[in-house]
Amino acid sequence: MAHSLSDECTPLKREYDACFNAWFEGYLEPAVAASANPEQRSKYSQEKAAEYEASCGKIWTQYRDCVQKAVKDKGLDTLLEQARQDNPLKDPPPPPTPEKS
Amino acid sequence: MKFYSNSFLYDDPWSIVSLAFFLRYPNPYASHVLSCDVIARSFSESGTLLTTRLILKKGSLPRWAPKGIISRAESWIVEETEVDPHGRVLRCMTRNLDHVKVMRAEERITISEADVGKTLQYNEARFVSGFGWGLTKRIESHVLARFKANVQKSREGFFVILNLIRQSRMQHMTIGAPSSFLDSHRFTGSEVRMSVHQDTVASYSHDNNEARAVTPQPRMGPWGRLKAWLRPG
Repeated sequence: MAHSLSDECTPLKREYDACFNAWFEGYLEPAVAASANPEQRSKYSQEKAAEYEASCGKIWTQYRDCVQKAVKDKGLDTLLEQARQDNPLKDPPPPPTPEKS
Repeated sequence: MKFYSNSFLYDDPWSIVSLAFFLRYPNPYASHVLSCDVIARSFSESGTLLTTRLILKKGSLPRWAPKGIISRAESWIVEETEVDPHGRVLRCMTRNLDHVKVMRAEERITISEADVGKTLQYNEARFVSGFGWGLTKRIESHVLARFKANVQKSREGFFVILNLIRQSRMQHMTIGAPSSFLDSHRFTGSEVRMSVHQDTVASYSHDNNEARAVTPQPRMGPWGRLKAWLRPG
């Protein structure tokens, strides 16, 4: 696992990443048939989210607080705020037009 | 604006490629990645997983770059990812947070299930410079050229991680142990000092900008190189 942006947070990051990755492996392989109806899927997703919260929630809070402080100390918080307001995944740009040369 | 796209077909199931995508740093080909942090993570209403990561990358400036336009050759990258395990698709967008006046680089990656056991990755990247001073085009072309030169390198790095996951899964299959890959295999690569990695990809053709699918060859190279990297000398 890569380093954290602050050395202070790296041990927390390692612990959190290990927890998340172990959970994530299972999340990627839903134990619900592809033919399952939306209710079944939704129920499964809620269970998975609860499982994540139960096993990684505590270490996530510690790690997040550490990183948030480091981000602020480096003056990146304003930049991040601006960037994240654009909401890229919900608002994709139009397909590119051929460049005029 | 410069645009680049390509696609790639893996002979691996979607879940393995998606796991490798999240685990891709560090790897021996990504010594330019200085740090990588999750800064936000939540579930959407439909149950997909939303992740925001903040990545610090080391860069280098071209010789012709005017002094002082960038105070340091490092760049903060924001990566937003949505994983939909039911729809078998991972969508990711990355862009630079700073130096945006010199260059905005935006990359979109979609990893989706193709046929059974195969996974398609589609990448597109846009580069826009608002720098002016007669340098806009030059900056855009430079960044595009650098990006293309690094495509093969990031792929090699990705394959190192993919191979680790494959090997781990295979071992568990033969041993029959139900334990997870990550229980037995913690990535501790960053604790190993990264040596300067000279990687030549001169034979790789970057001319083809059109979307194309390439079937990866089974390879032992990255695995051997990873071992050499972990235990130098």
